[in-house]
Amino acid sequence: ESNSKYPWIRNNDHSRQIEISDWLTMEIKDFINYISPSAEEIQARNGLVKKLRQSITSLWPDAELYCFGSFATDLYLPGSDIDMVIVSKRRNGKYDNKSSLYQLSSFLRTRGLGVNIEPIAKAKVPIIKFVDPTTGIHIDISFERVNGIKAAELIVSWINETPGLRELVMIVKQFLSVRKLNVVHTGGLGGFAIICLVRSFLKLHPRVVTGSIDPLANLGVLLIEFFELYGYNFGYDSTAIAFNDKGDAMYVTKHSNPALQGRNPFLLAIQDPHDPSNNISRGTHNLRDIKRAFGGAFELLANKCYDMYNASYKERLGQSILGDIIKYKGKQR
Amino acid sequence: CTEKKKYNYCTDCESKNHSNDRCPNIWRSYITNSYNDNHVFAYPGNAIYCYNCARRGHYGDECVEYRTSKTPNINGSAFTGDNLPKELR
Repeated sequence: ESNSKYPWIRNNDHSRQIEISDWLTMEIKDFINYISPSAEEIQARNGLVKKLRQSITSLWPDAELYCFGSFATDLYLPGSDIDMVIVSKRRNGKYDNKSSLYQLSSFLRTRGLGVNIEPIAKAKVPIIKFVDPTTGIHIDISFERVNGIKAAELIVSWINETPGLRELVMIVKQFLSVRKLNVVHTGGLGGFAIICLVRSFLKLHPRVVTGSIDPLANLGVLLIEFFELYGYNFGYDSTAIAFNDKGDAMYVTKHSNPALQGRNPFLLAIQDPHDPSNNISRGTHNLRDIKRAFGGAFELLANKCYDMYNASYKERLGQSILGDIIKYKGKQR
Repeated sequence: CTEKKKYNYCTDCESKNHSNDRCPNIWRSYITNSYNDNHVFAYPGNAIYCYNCARRGHYGDECVEYRTSKTPNINGSAFTGDNLPKELR
């Protein structure tokens, strides 16, 4: 029944809203409430991080453990993994070698801190993957890479100063993760790239930048317009997303910066705010499917709005607008 | 085929690209702040960029360059000068 397919609409009926975009805005907020972790889940994650930090510093007293990625920025979906990095206090790269990788793996194994422990030495960024035996949460530990920590700090400051950024990022992440288009290894769009797309969209939107609208009161129309921009109109062949020193969004032409050009012109290019010689989305080879998915989401949402606008109240009852593009499988929350 | 071509005309926005029941204004409606709420509109001089050619000073819907996206933009998008608040247009 529809309620189990779209669990976030239970006890939250907005079908009597006069403006369809207000209905969608309210449904977005309900969905985010629904997928947000409970107090117990937050405590379990924080406790796990604390335990690992204590254990690993007992092995290596001069090591520091930092979190980065979606856990550090509070943009994680239910069941997503925790990214951690080990950095030596002196910042001398002491732990950036294979013997540290294997020493930590056997330490985690003998102390019973992880199951399914997989040291991956051959990757560009060597990591240990394992699963926490009590919570089942997946953890990735890397060594001596500080750019993830710097990116997390930037993202937290962006979230704090950009109303609507967190909400739209969570929806786009869930949308892409159901379609398996959020994994960079398989050509998908990574978390930082999604954040850059949403921030650029919000910071260049004519209504938002002029202060004419409050993004939080207009999440519905903004979500449709996000899919409209990146699914229909954005000129991926020539245009790249960039941010200046103050973090303001801008576009630059791809031929202005060799780092933004690839062999294939139809590739997303996002200039790294911390390093202009780096394209954040260079691993996103599957732009064709991502653009098609965004365009499809635009069509589905707009069509659902037309249908609901022309429907009777009886026909609207129990309907979900977001449900046409977002699926949530998993245990009831 | 003798069937007449369906004539699309929207009396709401005077567009010939869609009928009234599929007008983008159905979903492209904003809850706006107003001057009365002590909101001062900022002219977005440094934040007008073109999604098509990447240049500053115009929006993508008004770009005169060749359109790079193969997906058509029939009804216009959010990124047009018409979407600036009336006072700034």
